[in-house]
Amino acid sequence: MTSRTAAVLSLLALLAAPPVAAQQASSYTSDEAKLYEAAKAEGTVVWYVGGPLDGMNAIAAEFQKVYPGIKVETLRLVGVAQYQRFLDETNAKKYLVDVLQSTDYPSMVSLVDLGHIAQWKLPTFDKIPERYRIKDYAYAQYTSTNAIVYNVNKVTPEEVKLLESGWEAVLDPRFKGRFSVSSMKCGVCYAPVHMFMDPKFKDRFGPEFLRKVVAQQPAVYAEVLVTLDRVVAGEQDFTMWGWESAAAIKQMEGAPIRWIFPKPTPDFGNSWQGISKYSTHPNAARLFLNWTMSEKGALAMERIYGGYSTLQGIPDVRVYAQEKWYAQPKEIYPVDWERWGNNYHKDMDEWAAIIKRGRN
Amino acid sequence: MALFLTAVVLALAVIPLVYVFDAQFYKETRVGLSEERSLDAVKAVYASAEYLGYLANALILAALVTALSLLVGVVLALLVARTDLSHKSLWDTMITLPLYLSPFTGLMAWITLGSEKTGFINHILRKILGVFIENPKPLVNIWSYGGVVFIMFLFFCPFVYLFTVGSLRSMNTSLEEAARMSGATAITGLRKITLPMCLPAILASGLLVFVLSVEMYTVPGIIGATVGFTTLPWKIFEDSTAIPVHRAHAAAGGCLLLFVTIAGVWLQNRLTQVSSRFVTVGGKGFQGRPIALGKYSWLAVGIILLYVLLADILPFGALLIASFMRFSASMITPDLFTTKHYVAFFTTQNMMAALWNTIFLAVLTGIICVLLGFVISLMDLRRPSLVTKSIAFLSILPVAVPGLVYGLGLLWTYLQTPLYGTIWILLLAHVAKMLPYGVIVSRSGLLQLHPELEESARMCGATPTRAIASIAAPLVKPTLIAILFFVMLNSIKELSASILLYSSNSHILSVLTWHYMDNGDYQYAAAIGIIQTAIMIGIVLITRMLFRARLEAAFGQ
Repeated sequence: MTSRTAAVLSLLALLAAPPVAAQQASSYTSDEAKLYEAAKAEGTVVWYVGGPLDGMNAIAAEFQKVYPGIKVETLRLVGVAQYQRFLDETNAKKYLVDVLQSTDYPSMVSLVDLGHIAQWKLPTFDKIPERYRIKDYAYAQYTSTNAIVYNVNKVTPEEVKLLESGWEAVLDPRFKGRFSVSSMKCGVCYAPVHMFMDPKFKDRFGPEFLRKVVAQQPAVYAEVLVTLDRVVAGEQDFTMWGWESAAAIKQMEGAPIRWIFPKPTPDFGNSWQGISKYSTHPNAARLFLNWTMSEKGALAMERIYGGYSTLQGIPDVRVYAQEKWYAQPKEIYPVDWERWGNNYHKDMDEWAAIIKRGRN
Repeated sequence: MALFLTAVVLALAVIPLVYVFDAQFYKETRVGLSEERSLDAVKAVYASAEYLGYLANALILAALVTALSLLVGVVLALLVARTDLSHKSLWDTMITLPLYLSPFTGLMAWITLGSEKTGFINHILRKILGVFIENPKPLVNIWSYGGVVFIMFLFFCPFVYLFTVGSLRSMNTSLEEAARMSGATAITGLRKITLPMCLPAILASGLLVFVLSVEMYTVPGIIGATVGFTTLPWKIFEDSTAIPVHRAHAAAGGCLLLFVTIAGVWLQNRLTQVSSRFVTVGGKGFQGRPIALGKYSWLAVGIILLYVLLADILPFGALLIASFMRFSASMITPDLFTTKHYVAFFTTQNMMAALWNTIFLAVLTGIICVLLGFVISLMDLRRPSLVTKSIAFLSILPVAVPGLVYGLGLLWTYLQTPLYGTIWILLLAHVAKMLPYGVIVSRSGLLQLHPELEESARMCGATPTRAIASIAAPLVKPTLIAILFFVMLNSIKELSASILLYSSNSHILSVLTWHYMDNGDYQYAAAIGIIQTAIMIGIVLITRMLFRARLEAAFGQ
């Protein structure tokens, strides 16, 4: 072996070896000033995000303003793609990420169960309701609430009232061919199906209700955000497959849309954040997670992104929530994560089959 | 050299594809593959009516797109290269302009233009026709099967045009002249002499369009759900990305598409097997008179203008307008106007890095693919052996597998190496995905070059390398430049493999465009699309100045 080959192999071995930080036991200070000093020495935090890149970059920029000297590098990997990438990297001992933000709750639960997420009790731990936490490992940044999003130029106030009364209102003959649904498989896409398929609603909703929805000849879109865009453009009058945070971004831009929460309204914690157990910037990761789940971080997120923070006891600063037309959901339907995990595939396949049969 | 090329092909094509091939034989978990072997996915994909139906949908769609692209592309090429039409340079540029736009961005433009109720076209026509008719029906609806074929055709037709026009221009027309002098009409000359002589170029372009159409998942996927049809690539996309993930199914689907493409390549090779039939650049060249269009010149201009309107003016215009809008709307009003997307682009930290990474990858991928493609084809044609033929064959395989699946193979291959997490793994992916074009196009160029030219040099005492460097390389220089243009443009647009391999320090524009589209921020994505197009035009202009060659003129020579 030549000395050059030996040097290259040594370098490769060095790069492949787990970083020192990954092997250290987790003993990090909760003192913010000390944590900031240690984080500054690390200089960077790599954040795998599942939410919209624009909003997440803006949140990262806000953090960098508060804590100069620490750069947040974002990489967008949505849902299960993030889970797979993280596991592939971890199995190969490539420790590239510090903080994970997953839009898929079961994936985050699995990572916690597999021991890949570091235990970290946030300073605001007690202000986060239990259903938005996975023990003291991961925390939902905001909630996703399904809604009927409508174009204000296409739906009359009287029709809005009717739709507000409950999901069954979409079956009214006047709405035939005027709205859209999505066949996409994703968390916010599944949430309404999950509720409609809930055994406790089998007489009220169930597959029969979904069949009736399809009989109303809705436009079916493969991408759930296309359903929203088509409402914004006025191509469709409203979408049944909308959700608040996505609609809020468009509405804050000035799009002629509003939304209502028919009763009951599916609601679940989204953007589950946890620190990789193998983080190479463990102090920066902790400082960052602390900040995003702090009052200041939550308010910045609400202001910039329009999501509804899971942190309790903070003022609601979402711009649209201050407007007269806006009304909070009256009857929340909290998703059942266990049934979600077990039935997701079956329910979504049934929904796809109902759409297909409805067309034939 | 053969050893080096074998190593390259192994690293780029064979090992990643072996990983993909192997992946189909595993049992699946909710989010990936288990350790346990299983034939479930293979049975489900290769032997179920469901998946074979998706494959049939993809093949039928690709056949329609290819047929339409060949018909229009060849007609346009004949009009520009073989007739006395004026402003040829302008038509060259305009017909090839769609290459500067990714089909997915083009789809977004056409959604803005051709949606049933709110598309700009229907909106304007409704206003005009509304004066004469009550409630006029919409003229176009892009959310239809025809819409999918139409959009894919618009953006793939330039490939056929480029290959054919280049071949027509470099062709020795003495046979055509002889036919005319023997009393054949212009049409008979074209049909019996010209087109058969261009067959390698036409077949190469047809194969390329077919392969690109078969593996495309975005356009058929997004419109397909609304129309009620699913193609295999879209199913592979769903299998790879939606929960529960079906990685083994995705791998099996990718292999199925690979087999289809292998059959296509085999067919193309059979059709062009007797390469001497297509030799048109010999030791002597002759350019004959162009066909006089006479009173039909208005028709020729009309055909070209119609294509230019549909493929360039309308989509680029819509995209430009969209990039300055705050959100989607059917009417353009001043209050919708904003420059914030462009401001954000030039002030966001990821964006400038992505811009430079994109340029870096495009240039380097282009250079590598030109060199490797030329050498691989040269060895295949001039030193035919099992090894050189195998290298040529294996090197084109990655184009046949959907980028998402191939990207997974590459990820599994290089995950444990220092390349992972850097821009170099993206370079590998881009080279692997673009090298097939380098091989196919340079093969097409070399097929038209008679070995007698190099043999003459050898007889005068030149070494084989000298004969290639002094004779073959300069004669196929336009083809090599065409490959450089083509690969750089496609590298800038490459998305499907890159999306699996990019990291926080190797952002590129195509991936960012996808993320903004995925976020529903179509206007920001449109702005990035416009910037991407500007970069492509910039790179082409610089290359044009450096090599004193034009993309349109260089292709297929």
